[in-house]
Amino acid sequence: MLAYLARRLVWMVFVLLGVMTMVFFISRVIPADPVAALLGGQAPPELVEKLKAKWDLDKPLFRQYVIYLARLVRGDLGLSIASGRPVMEDLAHYFPATFELATAGTLLSLVFGVFLGVIAAVKRGRLWDHLSRVLALFGVSMPVFWSGLLLLLLFYYWLGWLPGGGQLPFYMTRPSRITGLILIDSLVSGRFDAFVAAVKHMVLPALVLSFFGTAAISRITRSSMLDVLGEEYVTTARAKGLREWAVIMKHAFKNAILPVITVVGVTYGRLLEGSVITETVFSWPGLGRYATNAFLALDFPAVVGSTMFIALLYAVTNLLVDLSYAYLNPKIRYA
Amino acid sequence: MRKWLVFCAVFVGVGGFWGLAQVPKDVLIIGMSHEPIIDFEPARVYEFEGGFVLEQVYDSLVNFVGGREAFERIVPGLAESWEVSEDGLTWTFHLRRGVKFHSGNTVNADAVVFSLRRSLTLSFPPIWILKQFVPNPEMVQKVDDYTVTITTNQRIGEMLMAAVLGYQGVCSIVDPAVVQAHATADDPWATKWLAEHDAGSGPFVLKEWVRRDRIVLEAFPDYWRGKPAIRQVIIKDIPEPASQKLALERGDIDIAWNLLPEMVADLKGKPGFNVIETPSWYFHYLAMNVGYEPFSNVKVRQAVRWAIDYDAITQNIMAGAAVKCHTFVPIGMFGHLDLYYYQDLEKARQLMKEAGYEQGFAVELLTRTDPPYPDIAAQIKEDLKKIGIEVKVTVMTYSELLKVYRAQQHQMVLVRWGADYADPSAQAAPFAHCETTGPEAKVKQLAWRNMYISGVTDWVEQAVGEPDARKREILYKAIQAVVMEEGPYVILHSPLIQVVTRDVVQGLEVPPLWYYTELFGISKAR
Repeated sequence: MLAYLARRLVWMVFVLLGVMTMVFFISRVIPADPVAALLGGQAPPELVEKLKAKWDLDKPLFRQYVIYLARLVRGDLGLSIASGRPVMEDLAHYFPATFELATAGTLLSLVFGVFLGVIAAVKRGRLWDHLSRVLALFGVSMPVFWSGLLLLLLFYYWLGWLPGGGQLPFYMTRPSRITGLILIDSLVSGRFDAFVAAVKHMVLPALVLSFFGTAAISRITRSSMLDVLGEEYVTTARAKGLREWAVIMKHAFKNAILPVITVVGVTYGRLLEGSVITETVFSWPGLGRYATNAFLALDFPAVVGSTMFIALLYAVTNLLVDLSYAYLNPKIRYA
Repeated sequence: MRKWLVFCAVFVGVGGFWGLAQVPKDVLIIGMSHEPIIDFEPARVYEFEGGFVLEQVYDSLVNFVGGREAFERIVPGLAESWEVSEDGLTWTFHLRRGVKFHSGNTVNADAVVFSLRRSLTLSFPPIWILKQFVPNPEMVQKVDDYTVTITTNQRIGEMLMAAVLGYQGVCSIVDPAVVQAHATADDPWATKWLAEHDAGSGPFVLKEWVRRDRIVLEAFPDYWRGKPAIRQVIIKDIPEPASQKLALERGDIDIAWNLLPEMVADLKGKPGFNVIETPSWYFHYLAMNVGYEPFSNVKVRQAVRWAIDYDAITQNIMAGAAVKCHTFVPIGMFGHLDLYYYQDLEKARQLMKEAGYEQGFAVELLTRTDPPYPDIAAQIKEDLKKIGIEVKVTVMTYSELLKVYRAQQHQMVLVRWGADYADPSAQAAPFAHCETTGPEAKVKQLAWRNMYISGVTDWVEQAVGEPDARKREILYKAIQAVVMEEGPYVILHSPLIQVVTRDVVQGLEVPPLWYYTELFGISKAR
């Protein structure tokens, strides 16, 4: 197991290096001028040249790559052109908000998805099955921008039950930043008012984020459950006189869960990279907006840094999914 | 059925419990996109949103009156009065006494000298605004505790001097003691600390800044003009205009800064809201590269100006949220020339004929990907087709476009330009200063990029230093008349700045450079 883990970690380094190299060269060969983009059309040309020198853009491409690599080895992702701060600091600032939202979104997807999937499988061909299929179709095909605004309109504007955007009410002071995770920080600093407010603020964006995952998880749960429900040991369990609920959850679902975990892993990885649209609609200060703005502004240290970070998140999520297989199915062994 | 009724009752009950708290009455909440904000280091701030925050937190030597008529009249700021020497090069500023920084320290000549020298030494991008006339830190000198002299490298008019020294950012006055207290060996000017804190003497104190989330300002009770009526201002990052509108209508924010024209139109006249509209000092313009053969003929350039349907663009594409402005010194700015074009296809065709292009020609128009540029470009394509010019529109990201534009490699571009500070020299130099199209040119701005050797370069230089305001105004009007007659630009319109407030907000005035908006005079009716 440990040897497997070590091998995967070494591979992960190569994956990150590959991603970094690709993004580095792509971001530099596109025919655009990041300094001009930063300074706008009105900056005097001498200033543009001065700043190009500051970011080594006046050097040959390969030399720039070597300089970047040397810094990277020291754990330095460089300075963001747009924010002027170390990219690492920016990532540390924006990631916690995305992490909280992605985790909440994935949990909701898991709960709704498994529920709908199991029901659809058990009630195959009946109303619940059709309803689950329609909901899944809806979840996959609804544009996030539209569903986000619709939920805002309903729960915030018309009913007034949930807040409109941001992580806290506009006039509420934030709990002091300890981990950057607002739920944890508010609990640690004893700010229960902030905790309750933060949970309320998370409901709508997490719900919007969960739509796609719910759809995917419910479909895969259904098909996986249908496979398992046809197995002989399920018939045996029923023949033994076990209650239907126990047959479904203990015997069938436990064995149907592996493909579900894979989809959950992919969903979580996708949400961890941040969702620019959800973050924009709900004024959420997360990684998605940071990374997208970096791309638009051609802030290439931030582009390369955030892409590598997102690749790392995917790699770690995939590793955890693979490791969870061994835990969930004792027949699987890693060597 | 009964189960469903219970469920609905519980749902509504939970909804009620989760209801939202009310916004305190002495707190002003502004919804605004924070995307452009980098930080609040005064020597570095260049973007509008950052400048808007500095305007509340810092003071400068001189101010302008507020509102739409802003920049027509200079009013004293930290300097109570000033005079200029006979040779027009040395400006003496007499400082107001008894003004306090937020730390309680006194604003004096040392602070002014320290602040301007600090900006000049740090030399961040926006410093060119000051450096073009005051290139050397030693040109700022203390005379006594409340008197400062600033020497310029050339004679400049009073309005221009005020526009430069009133620029919130490189010319903001910082508290030397606070800056020095946060200086480190690596960062002797405390730029890292000032990026997130303030050392000013303005009406508000920068209390909290959470990136891409909120900026909290608190009233400074000892402000020299009096205590602000509002106790706290929260500038909340709401990047999506639709979300801003919902928050405004729900009463969660008092002011929405980034609504789209159709949203503003929807709120106009609705009870409970006020719409404030001011023509901005930026404009969309079309530029023709004189280096491209057909545009080397002045008559072709004139034909293009007469072929555009300006009203169609303003009404249909800008949804009425723009005003006519067809010259590069915008409406309301000192020296603006009332010069307007309209579509006259007969005249345009005649000019094409006289130029020898009766059969027309093909041209590539580069523009940006974001709205409204592609739509305006489509209208221009239609209009120019009517006089035989076949336009191929190429849409590209701004950074990509700038690279081509700066290298003089375009044929035609459609982009925007905005005044950097409140004086026509900020417009005349880029649009009309070009004595050569080679790399040795003194000013490599728009005239140079479009390879337009202007015959009025000497007027542009002369106008900068003209001490007589009347003569200066005439010079700028003459420059516009010449350049808009023969030059390579078609100025299309000035978009409106549209800000919507709840009707409880009183006293908000938005000047044409919106980042000069003062929150000091705002109050909220209870």
